[in-house]
Amino acid sequence: MNRTELAENPFFVLEVPTSATRMEVERAGQKLLAQLAIGVTSVKRYKTPFGEAERDESKVRSALSALRDPEQRVIYELWAIDAPDESESGSLPAWGRALESIGWRGPCTD
Amino acid sequence: MFDGEQLQSIRSAAGEALTPSVVRIDAKGNVSVGSRAFRFLHKDPENTRGEFKRLMGSKNVYRFAAANLEKTPEELSAQVLLSLQKDVEAQLGVRPERAVIAVPALFELPQIKATSEAARLAGLSRIETIQEPVASALASGWSADECRGAWLVYDLGGGTFDASLLETQEGLLRIVGHDGDNFLGGRDFDLALVDWLVARIRESTGVEIQRSNPEHANAVAKLKVAAEEAKIELSRATGETSIVLEGLRVGNQEIELVEQPLTRAELESVTQPLIERSLRVCERLLRKHGVKLLERIVLVGGPTMMPALRTRLEQAFGAPFGSGLDPMLLVAQGAALFAATAALDARPSAPSHVASGPRLWLQYPAMTPDTSPFIVGRALDTADQVAAVQLSRSDGEWQSEWLALAEDLSFSGMVSLKRRASSTFKVAARLASGSVVVANPPEITVVHGVSIGEPPLARTIGVARADDGVAVYFERGAPLPIRKTFTHRTVENVAPTATDYALRVPIVQGDFPFAHLCRLVGVIQIPAASLRSALPAGSAIELTLEVDRGGALSAKAFLPAQNLVFEHVEQLLAPATSVDKMLVLVGELEQRAAALRGKAFREGARTAIVTLADFEATLGAVRGDLSAARGGDQDAAEKARRALIECDGMLGDLEAANAWPELNARVYEEHTYATHWVTEFGTEQEKRALSQCMDLVERALRARSAGEIERQLRAMQRIKLTAYYRDPESWSRALDAAASDLPEATDPAKAQSLLRQGRAAEQAGNRKELERIVRELWRLYPVDSEERSLSFNSGVR
Repeated sequence: MNRTELAENPFFVLEVPTSATRMEVERAGQKLLAQLAIGVTSVKRYKTPFGEAERDESKVRSALSALRDPEQRVIYELWAIDAPDESESGSLPAWGRALESIGWRGPCTD
Repeated sequence: MFDGEQLQSIRSAAGEALTPSVVRIDAKGNVSVGSRAFRFLHKDPENTRGEFKRLMGSKNVYRFAAANLEKTPEELSAQVLLSLQKDVEAQLGVRPERAVIAVPALFELPQIKATSEAARLAGLSRIETIQEPVASALASGWSADECRGAWLVYDLGGGTFDASLLETQEGLLRIVGHDGDNFLGGRDFDLALVDWLVARIRESTGVEIQRSNPEHANAVAKLKVAAEEAKIELSRATGETSIVLEGLRVGNQEIELVEQPLTRAELESVTQPLIERSLRVCERLLRKHGVKLLERIVLVGGPTMMPALRTRLEQAFGAPFGSGLDPMLLVAQGAALFAATAALDARPSAPSHVASGPRLWLQYPAMTPDTSPFIVGRALDTADQVAAVQLSRSDGEWQSEWLALAEDLSFSGMVSLKRRASSTFKVAARLASGSVVVANPPEITVVHGVSIGEPPLARTIGVARADDGVAVYFERGAPLPIRKTFTHRTVENVAPTATDYALRVPIVQGDFPFAHLCRLVGVIQIPAASLRSALPAGSAIELTLEVDRGGALSAKAFLPAQNLVFEHVEQLLAPATSVDKMLVLVGELEQRAAALRGKAFREGARTAIVTLADFEATLGAVRGDLSAARGGDQDAAEKARRALIECDGMLGDLEAANAWPELNARVYEEHTYATHWVTEFGTEQEKRALSQCMDLVERALRARSAGEIERQLRAMQRIKLTAYYRDPESWSRALDAAASDLPEATDPAKAQSLLRQGRAAEQAGNRKELERIVRELWRLYPVDSEERSLSFNSGVR
């Protein structure tokens, strides 16, 4: 998941905590949609641990829809994390280079 | 009619709650609609037409012999709408200008468009359509005091059966899934009874009435009417009724009098197999979504009045029926509620009374399940000098604080609603001078009730890539309408002189990462001849896919280098499918089914065998409909087309289940790789995320949910890639791999030069530049031809 995708987490878009009830989610979405409709400038951007992002009506609608589905919500709860800390890598034992020995060269999609 | 608290149905001029969709035009051109026309349906079929709803959006026309007129299905529907408008005007004194029209769940875009056209012909200025199961759910949700848990909407109409599963929570309704049977409806119950009657008549008189013999059509029509009447009578009274028919002409024979007693037990045994069929559909739907316990069953449609059906449903699911609900009116009530949520007031807009107060632009839900929703607004005129706004409920029990205006003149605040009722708020504005005035609008009304989320996209949609991969555009569950654009790259050089070549962009549906496992739903073809100049491999092509509210897909391809746009999508299983094309499809489906059947029997897979039996039954009905369609029966052609899509889906599900071992192996593989890279280069968050992701995969494995596993695998891959590219060596390794395949590049000279630049960037330690060069190099490599043929000959990646 890249930074843009992380920043589009519905919990960030709607600015609700992961503990929000369904009604609180709906209420937040309804308020944002109304504010976007009348052109309140302050809601056109939102802050995330991954930087600021732009908010529009379709993002809010998608976010609402994602959090209505319990299966999807679980994933976003998981990803609604703080910004990754570059300093904390490699604290677990490494697996070595076993995979390269079986011919794996890494991903080749762009 | 919905006044904010009560739902009330408006009766027709004839005093009936329902108006049948039947139109009659006599020799003088006089039009009659509804029950008055219905009486002539069998007596004067040349000038009386019914059942035109399902043919909306087709090229069909109906002839009215006596008046020598031809009418389209839209024009006939418009007549029905006009008659309904007149009834409303007669009772309420206002003629509706806006309307919500409920359409069958299976209606597709052309049919929805035709519905709007009918409304326009009837003089309605604005309409919204709502799916019938959604409307029924809204109506039943509105009347329920406390709603929570899973609901089944069991909708048995005249010709089709629909089952919808809903999840309800605090007045928020969500459609979890749909299923249905296009060949099961009240009419099939009547026909079963007709067959039974035919057998009794043969026993007592020796006369054989044949449903397939055109000369017997009149007798069959009489039997049908008698069967329906007997069925309805036995739904009301217990015990026994008698079917009496006089002067029945069968070919050249005449039966003077048929008097056949019918007991309720007989009726039940005749209709039992049909009821069981509907139950199987419901069970399949519940199983698919892992629902074991139903909180409530909502019955919709006339045939659900049958006591035997109700008893059997209760036995099977052990859930209560929504009480006090009229199965015949539920859809109409739901549409009225939807009109309220969509703020569609049917009354002509009132002449705006001269309000002198400062003008405010207010945004609020007309109906909401939330008892404390937000009201947001802004002052429209700076000259008004509004400083704050206050909302007071008209019952005097609640009042907001003064909501101060922000710099951009906007304000927001929560209001408190009366439960299950309509609340009106007076709007006051405090000016900079300190004086308080009535604002414009002076008051607003919000209803506390139910709401329903947008219908979600049923299956993931994406573009098949030449390497048998899928570029996912929309994930299952995305809200409609939706639209996305991605840039792809072409995989080979195309000369504009190549006469027989076309660049193909296949659009697929399904939750699989391999294109060949997904279902092809459409193709954009770009003929070489339409290019302005040669198109080298690796050229950018911008694709935009769009799915509208009705679920119809459209696509657009843009070649920026040549400034060309292509919008023609060859749709598969599209509405205009000819009978011949459908017969070809039947053949293809049979082949696929044969392969699946062999495997299912070898492995003794019981559920697969049952599904295949359902498939066979449906396909049998399709064959019957196709031969009727050859004889010009448009309704049958339409039914066949729908059923084919359904058959395709049934086989798709079975094929997905067969890919299970392959999927299991991929989970193992993907997890191994991901664990490796995340352990070595991942952050703490990524490690945590990966382990939780794996928990979800395990849960999905237990539930045997292939779609969910695919989604989790995509997430896992993203975690893996993020970690992988944190490895300082990763791009160097990718450059090495590209170098070893250099002779295969489509443009070796360019690849050679990129490789040199890459090495230089590697030396200089410029990772960003190295990454850019490797990505460009990748575009120069050809695609494996075998993979490409698997992915519907896709010309992009």
